[in-house]
Amino acid sequence: MVSGLKEPVFILGVGCTRFGNMLETPELKGLSLQEMAGQAVAEAFADAKVDPSEVDAVIVGNVTMQTSNLPATYSQIAKWTGTQLKAGVHIDGACSTTNIGVTLGAMGIASGVYRKVLVVGLESTLSQPKRLSPYERESIPTEEMWLWTDYCVGQAYSVPQGYDIFPTYNGFVAQAYCKKYGYSIEEYDKGMFELCRTRRLHGSMNPKAILQETLEDEATRYGFSDPYEFWTSAYNPFLAWPSRLRSVVSAADGASAVVLSSEDGIPADAPMPVQVKGWGVTVSDLPWYGEDPTYTHYDRISFDKAYAMSGIAPTDIDYLHVHDCSHASSICVAEMSGYLPEGKGLLLARDGALRFDGSRPMSTHGGRHAFGHAWAASAGSDTYEAVKQIRGLGGPRQIPTPPHTAVVHTHGYAMVSTVMVYEGR
Amino acid sequence: MPTSIIRTYYESLAEGRLVGRTCAACGAITFPPTSLCEKCGSPDQSEVELSGQGELLFVSHGMAPPPNPRFNDLAPYAYGHVRLAEGVFVQGIVTDVGVEPEALAAMYEKCPVPVKADIITVADLPVLAFALA
Repeated sequence: MVSGLKEPVFILGVGCTRFGNMLETPELKGLSLQEMAGQAVAEAFADAKVDPSEVDAVIVGNVTMQTSNLPATYSQIAKWTGTQLKAGVHIDGACSTTNIGVTLGAMGIASGVYRKVLVVGLESTLSQPKRLSPYERESIPTEEMWLWTDYCVGQAYSVPQGYDIFPTYNGFVAQAYCKKYGYSIEEYDKGMFELCRTRRLHGSMNPKAILQETLEDEATRYGFSDPYEFWTSAYNPFLAWPSRLRSVVSAADGASAVVLSSEDGIPADAPMPVQVKGWGVTVSDLPWYGEDPTYTHYDRISFDKAYAMSGIAPTDIDYLHVHDCSHASSICVAEMSGYLPEGKGLLLARDGALRFDGSRPMSTHGGRHAFGHAWAASAGSDTYEAVKQIRGLGGPRQIPTPPHTAVVHTHGYAMVSTVMVYEGR
Repeated sequence: MPTSIIRTYYESLAEGRLVGRTCAACGAITFPPTSLCEKCGSPDQSEVELSGQGELLFVSHGMAPPPNPRFNDLAPYAYGHVRLAEGVFVQGIVTDVGVEPEALAAMYEKCPVPVKADIITVADLPVLAFALA
């Protein structure tokens, strides 16, 4: 397969709303999806020092149309962001959507067709339009959100026969990891506790995260002086044994945006552009693995493709985010990336090495649990964090030595395994 | 009138038969069946009936209420990762394993264990589940 960009492509600007609940979160309460997208796009244009008129194409992603009622997102969001009369398309790569948009935009630029491209992702997973109101929303039950989300997988056979993401993506993977590497379930639980502490620490330092309370503070709020006692209590039940509630995704609402450019489109006063060095995208349906649930072949292919396209090796990675809807799966994928040694990810998580100031910093925005997960917008939030870290603008959670090479992996449901490689210019 | 592969699969399941397809080009079994071989894309496939025998490799549990309202009366249920005797991997409800942590922990220690197909009917649809053999 031919791979590689004929011309370099750069991220000029990024934008992202706070991830939260449009019915409750102060920064989002009362907003519409159009307005959230507008917020993210305005931030991205300001960051890029680019005028909307310079954009040649608008790529807009949204997954759960039952909550957005916006199937033609390209035209409607273009109107709300001053980017009408450009090329446009709606895309859906599920939870990889925004970064799939980056790959499509980059190909459009590298081919010479476009000079600048705007990518937008928007999603609500917690509410839907109230009757036919243009601005009122009402909450949706968690199981209904999953019913709609599960339209992304195995509708012929898996879903009608009892498929459930939590055992498939959490329980089996956790059990397989423990058996494969000789960890006890208690050691696994302790590692997951520490990993959650790290993610929640990152969330507590990120004003855009849905969960900004540390795990320790939450334990205290529930009356526990020992946070691990809280971890193993009825307040943190097994969601899919042996994985617990706080080792999984926090569903959220949010929007993100990325402005891409060719090299000759970079403004003289642009902040540090970040190069899109390469990527790997691989799709697969259920079942996601064979004998060994810790090994997902599509991820292996995506990492290999991304590294070959970018000319990097795992040892070049300074910052890694992998899709962490499931903390158990995220450890396996991080090991597959080569960033964490095989079978040692749980120990590194336990020892705090995955913290922003640790030896293997990961998911410094808080990941899917603490930052939250707004399906189509989430990959853009991961790219947002990688760009900020590369620029040294990570604030209190800045990696002490700003990364030069960042790798962002996402699992689009399911699966659209997407690996992006970004480098500081 | 064309024959629906999906409808045929479920009608076979209702008769107690697990019907997949074998690829003449690469030899892979696609189960449940798809239009083209899921491994190589060849349309040259023939029907094959699977034994329903296999090994339960891992078993955990799922959400309650479940994401699919078809299973409202059944959830929470144990859900397993199974290697069928023919080498195909499937996942499904395990009908005779409890969802309490102690029960799942005990199964974790025992697995892999033999299982057999236990076709149940849920809201008028036959569902491929498994029971300990």
